[in-house]
Amino acid sequence: MERITEFAKKPWLLGVLVCVFAIGVLWNIPIEKRKYGLSQSNVTTDYTGLLPEKVEQVIKTDDYRELQKIVKQANVQGQHISIAGLQHSQGGHTYYKDGIVLDMKSFNKVLHVDERAKTVHVQAGASWEDVQEAITPYGLALKVTQSQSIFTIGGSLSVNAHGRDIRFGPMASTVKEMTLLTPTGEIKTVTKEDQDEWMRYVLGGYGLFGVILDVTLELTENDVYTIHTEEIETDEYEEYFNNLLTNEKTAMHYARVSVAPSSFLDEMYVIDYHTTGEIDTETKLKDEQGVRVSKMALDIGRQGGVLEDLFWKTQKLYIHSIDGDTITRNNAMRSESTFMEFTKPAHVEILQEYFVPVDQYEEYLEELKKLLSPDDKNEDFKVHNITVRYAAKDEITSLNYATEDMLGLVILIQHGLKDAEMKDAQEIIQKWTDLTLNYGGTYYLPYYRYQTKEQFQRSYPEWEAFKFEKEQRDSNEVFVNMFYEYYIK
Amino acid sequence: MKIKSERFIPLVVTVGQVAIFPYYIIWLKQVSLTFTLFAWLFAVFSFSAAWGYRVFQVKKTTKTAIPIVYIGMGMVYLLVGSMNETHGYLVYGAVLLQIILGFLQGYFRAWHVKQKSYHIQAVSHYLIVGFTMIGLSFVKVISPTVLITLFGSVLVGCGVWAFWKKEQGD
Repeated sequence: MERITEFAKKPWLLGVLVCVFAIGVLWNIPIEKRKYGLSQSNVTTDYTGLLPEKVEQVIKTDDYRELQKIVKQANVQGQHISIAGLQHSQGGHTYYKDGIVLDMKSFNKVLHVDERAKTVHVQAGASWEDVQEAITPYGLALKVTQSQSIFTIGGSLSVNAHGRDIRFGPMASTVKEMTLLTPTGEIKTVTKEDQDEWMRYVLGGYGLFGVILDVTLELTENDVYTIHTEEIETDEYEEYFNNLLTNEKTAMHYARVSVAPSSFLDEMYVIDYHTTGEIDTETKLKDEQGVRVSKMALDIGRQGGVLEDLFWKTQKLYIHSIDGDTITRNNAMRSESTFMEFTKPAHVEILQEYFVPVDQYEEYLEELKKLLSPDDKNEDFKVHNITVRYAAKDEITSLNYATEDMLGLVILIQHGLKDAEMKDAQEIIQKWTDLTLNYGGTYYLPYYRYQTKEQFQRSYPEWEAFKFEKEQRDSNEVFVNMFYEYYIK
Repeated sequence: MKIKSERFIPLVVTVGQVAIFPYYIIWLKQVSLTFTLFAWLFAVFSFSAAWGYRVFQVKKTTKTAIPIVYIGMGMVYLLVGSMNETHGYLVYGAVLLQIILGFLQGYFRAWHVKQKSYHIQAVSHYLIVGFTMIGLSFVKVISPTVLITLFGSVLVGCGVWAFWKKEQGD
């Protein structure tokens, strides 16, 4: 006992304890340190923290009847309701000044997996990850989802999201049936064949036509793919991609364009997923891997200049290393997202997405080089990443961003929050939008409202019909949000 | 009490540390962003202080490194004052700084309680802290980092002075 007491008094033991504890602290420093959305106490925002606004009430329930009562009451009393999931939209789509916010995250049950019909019936507040966990044991996978699986089903459908799949068309096309709570408080089951065309306005309708309560989604097999990666020049991409579309073995695809100074918009790498004919029922869903290392690498790239060149080279090395690997469809549809966390006071990282017709891609990028600076190290407006996805022609939704087969360029941008910096960012983004429109393209609506109303109307010529239907189906403006107020009202 | 600096410098250090504490807390809270991290940084400091205290207690020689302790603490505050708060990785650096500061403060306190002046100065310490805080309450325009830097400089100055006086034998 005496020996133990003596041992415990050794100063080096305390030193070791301090080091062990410090390592534990360092390892557990959370990557996402910010609070956003409904988790804040005074005002609400969405993921970027832009557009802070005071809301009257946040309602969290998992009872359909209670929701119905709230909507009916709002319709009679002239209250305004917004619908929130994970709140990763960036333009105030999930809240409204002095309005009620329905926090849908409690509606998170996977109700039924029909193995034979290859469908899943799921509540709208469940995440894609919840669905993947339920369907993977059956050897089933989603037809279309976003690259990351953290988002809610209702949120993704409300923005008609897209991902890496190149065979099944827009996400809206995979919805077989939907239970909808309409602005008058009626609970309806709607299908694609529905004469009232609710799906046309609810899918990609930004929560303005009712609450999606649950949906039945079409599924496909959880195929095993081999990954094919390749470095190409941007002026080779159109041909590469058109060949890819004719190759039936390729199920999924995405690409990344260099934003590093020495190869700015000249180099790309592509990642294709080729079917092997095998279906997987055993492989577990992968967790987020190497988050801290990935974040550190991205943070190095964020510094710009030679460090951004270094980051691009590192990415290419990584891409070479996974060439020939195999992966299941479900795992290919759940990329890491935490490493993208950005915390820098007085700065924000935002997304933009521009769609250009496939055959206009090369000319578009050439023009884009004239708009952007290759080395943004000393500039406030910094482009950190551009990925390219395929968005097939969409004939289902009203606010339709893919009027023909398009390539979507998802852009990660950082800029400051001072008035002058916001104005500068808005100016560049508006020029970028004009350039896109000149090439027959459109821009995506879930993001911050940098674009003018005129640009919105040019991009979405059906906006008037959308507005007309809104007035017909929701004459008391029960479902509203900041996006609606700015662009449509 | 052969060396005068040994009588007055500890008073400057203890009063200064209490007076600067609110400003240092503001910096630490800004760096840590969440309460959990903020609390963890304090825990690191506390464990490290216990380590420093123990290191002094088991020291066999009567020679002390107190001037170096003053300079070390001063350097930490100078570093804190010069850091850009907007850097996302600052919290990782803050862990290291909390270890150093905790160790040095623990070591200093273990040394201080052994000094004859410790009990004599206790009342003076509380009174001076009270008046200093009242004085600081009227200072509204200076950024916390300016005061932290100032205190860091004072500590480095005290360290150099104590070292020089020690060499001189007062």
